[in-house]
Amino acid sequence: MRKFFFFSATLIIIILLTNDILAQDDFFTPKTTIGGYGELHYNNENPEVGSTSKTLDFHRFVLFVSHSWSEKWSFKSEVEIEHNFIKSGQGELEIEQAFLNFQPSENIGFQAGVIVPSIGLINPYHEPPLFFGVERPEYSKYIIPTTWFGNGAAMYGNFNDFTFKLSVMEGLNSDKFSANKGIRGGRQNGFKSDASKFLYSANIDYLGLPGLMFGGSFTYNEAKGNTTENKITLTEFHGKYDANNLIAVFEFGNISYNSGNIENSRGYYFDLGYNLKEVLKSESDIIPFFRYTDYNTAANTISGGIIETQNHFSKWMIGVSVKPIPSIVVKVDYSQRERELESLKTKLFNLGVGYMF
Amino acid sequence: MIFNKIIFIISFFLAVTIIYPQSIKRQTIEIIKSQFGDNLNIESIKYDIPLKIKNEIEKKTQQHFYSEVVYIFKITRSDSLISTGILDNVYGKSMPITFLVLFDIKGEIISTDIVKYREPYGGGIKIRRWNDQFKGKNPNSKFKVGEDIYSISGATISVRSVTKGIQKLILLFEKIKNKI
Repeated sequence: MRKFFFFSATLIIIILLTNDILAQDDFFTPKTTIGGYGELHYNNENPEVGSTSKTLDFHRFVLFVSHSWSEKWSFKSEVEIEHNFIKSGQGELEIEQAFLNFQPSENIGFQAGVIVPSIGLINPYHEPPLFFGVERPEYSKYIIPTTWFGNGAAMYGNFNDFTFKLSVMEGLNSDKFSANKGIRGGRQNGFKSDASKFLYSANIDYLGLPGLMFGGSFTYNEAKGNTTENKITLTEFHGKYDANNLIAVFEFGNISYNSGNIENSRGYYFDLGYNLKEVLKSESDIIPFFRYTDYNTAANTISGGIIETQNHFSKWMIGVSVKPIPSIVVKVDYSQRERELESLKTKLFNLGVGYMF
Repeated sequence: MIFNKIIFIISFFLAVTIIYPQSIKRQTIEIIKSQFGDNLNIESIKYDIPLKIKNEIEKKTQQHFYSEVVYIFKITRSDSLISTGILDNVYGKSMPITFLVLFDIKGEIISTDIVKYREPYGGGIKIRRWNDQFKGKNPNSKFKVGEDIYSISGATISVRSVTKGIQKLILLFEKIKNKI
């Protein structure tokens, strides 16, 4: 068996090494590329109880650096500074992606390093011009803990009108799960990750109808910490329609826990926007939109009672995205969030500018 | 025993998918044949884009050409020109995307094809239905993503880049069709 293994491995290596030489052509030259995105926000939060807060925040500054040695072998990375200034407890400096990418054919590829699993719409694609609202949807914070990245490996590909990604990466720290943030605190973010329990995630999307993309993912992890263990599953469905000036987005996700007081975290949102560019004969995209969201990080609990209503929020939002060119966006939105417990309302007004290149 | 089988299957899979990489030219000719059938005469030319035309088109589309040359395929049957194809690259997020546009003799688009896609994300632009949107477009068509061209979630950069790339080639063909 060992001989057979080494024979096969040698065959694969020879194929891989020789194939790169054969595959070079006039249409590819090795290259290093730089990209990035960033966003400045003004946030005005006016709760029913308590004082109004007003902040100006350069929320994210991100640089992508990629290098392609050949058509098949490349490196891709994304380095992010959050809140512009790093000090103990303030701001964040993160390597959100840094992986070797091997793509032996157009239909299949492999990644290893710091990877981003395809869970939800915004985790893999989170540049500011790509979503409505100055801030990312709360769903993409409390149900899908965006940006969710970690050390691991992935296989991706496409067949017919489908795309897929399978990821195996560091698990979650169950000690840090909480009623008000779900699994968000459990991310290890690639910091000397505990590799005793891997997280497995599978995503599939269908792209066969004009302007429409829909799909979902399933994620499983036997999360563990120093004092707790908790098997979780995250099942989510998502869809986006972008054609004929109409943009509609929908996401739904449910997290199930097998231990602790919380049994489920659950949420959804939908967006509806219409590009007035043609109507107004404008050079810019001018897209007013409406969003409704509902999420509860303690949707079902063993104890029941106040914890379920304390963590249940609904919110409506109206806003406008203006894109003078597709890579630059100016956003404004107004929203009202309501906590189920005591029907506590908060009014929010946000302004922002964002870019990607 | 099962382990042996798995290793063999992986080796076989890798071998059949990557040992015989198709050259861009061979793939292009196969696409042309699938469009027009056999009994064709296909002549390929490496064409230097005149600088003045290049600058003019780049200014209009707000996208640079990948290089100073494109590859032109003159497709004839029984000595009659039935189509002209232009093969070019545009950049996606970080890798070149190779695409072919076939024109009829009037200069309208017969078909577009992604000949080679090298990015890990955004492969949705290879889908036939997305490419079919360009059929019948002429040099005066809009080529605006979100208006006459629908976008693909997860492939935004590639969609915009290839759309501009196709517009560049139709404008180029309009200017050079009587000279080649």
